[in-house]
Amino acid sequence: MSQKIVLSHKTGFFSEDDDNLFKAVFDRIQTGIIIIDPDTHSIVDANPIAEEILGSSKSEMINRMCHEYICPAKEGTCPVTDNNTAIANEERIFINKKGEKVAVQKTVAKVKINGKEYLVESFVDISDRKKADDRKVALIGFMNESVLRIRRPLELTKMNMQLIADQVKSGEYESEEIRMELQIQANNISQMIKNLDDLVRMVAEERGEEIPKEFREFLLGK
Amino acid sequence: MLAPPEDIHGMNIAVVKKILGQGCTPLIITVNQPFKVLTKIYTKEGIDSSKFYVIDTVTQYSGGVCEENPRVHYINNPSNLTDLGIAISEVLKQMPDKKKCIMFDSVSMLLIHIPSATASKFFHFVVNKLKLSDVSGIFLCVEKGLDPVILSQMSSFVDKIVDFEPEIIAKP
Repeated sequence: MSQKIVLSHKTGFFSEDDDNLFKAVFDRIQTGIIIIDPDTHSIVDANPIAEEILGSSKSEMINRMCHEYICPAKEGTCPVTDNNTAIANEERIFINKKGEKVAVQKTVAKVKINGKEYLVESFVDISDRKKADDRKVALIGFMNESVLRIRRPLELTKMNMQLIADQVKSGEYESEEIRMELQIQANNISQMIKNLDDLVRMVAEERGEEIPKEFREFLLGK
Repeated sequence: MLAPPEDIHGMNIAVVKKILGQGCTPLIITVNQPFKVLTKIYTKEGIDSSKFYVIDTVTQYSGGVCEENPRVHYINNPSNLTDLGIAISEVLKQMPDKKKCIMFDSVSMLLIHIPSATASKFFHFVVNKLKLSDVSGIFLCVEKGLDPVILSQMSSFVDKIVDFEPEIIAKP
């Protein structure tokens, strides 16, 4: 398995007619890979998944500086070559060709190919996982707000009702005073029901297409 | 001050007694009980009704009659934070120039009427106003009745978050 890998400044490390194991893996692996020359910080190769994640073709990326595509660090402040920082399975944000943010988990490894050192930057798109995490946080927020604005006040309302019952029993309170207190509790309960409806509606609107249409309409009161 | 729901009424009375015991005049902001009922409860507990001021946000809300009293200021609804803010400033000015302390009863009940993020902003505004006027303030809340994020925000602008312990506050 001692095939010589040749760097072409047009096609990257591998030419179209190359037929070796490394090229097959490089082209088919479901991880974005970009190979960088640490001396010039220019991109020397990119595999199809890297093209897909970044939205740029290999020919657009080759010979371009890495900080134009995959690293926000300015020239001379490369975390790997200038600051000697290891990057292993770290979450980062790439900006793709359309200017959209793409969350990735990336690793940078130093390798020697034909006696020269290169940086192999490998990354996977974790946008879906990040979205799921955001949804989880939103759900926790919804539960939290529901507890704060409904459950705790309900506990207080229960205590207030007990207090009102004791006041009636004592015979020391006028009927208008009792009426006012009961009316406050009734108004509060109505407001709590409204809060619950609002919270459910907010979730239904926020989660959009994820909730089946009929159920979403039901939640939105349509 | 935080207390379990069953202790929140006891905490209210104990705190008012403590404020009066310290030679302070309390301004009670109630979003829970109407002035008439509150006065009756306090009188029963031996608290002189001429010793405190009240901002009542619930009498009108319940359709009750707002009886004229120089020591009480009525707000039409607990969610009317604009009027509540103005009323706090006005009543504090009206109160005698000795030590004053406001007691808000309760943060948890206010959360029925406004979202927690709005409540946090409002309390920040009130606390700043109190600091500028050199007035103390106590906010009653059901324990675990605040979002940890909001609790940490509030802890950045209040002096202390205290768990209510009846036996401790009852001591002179």
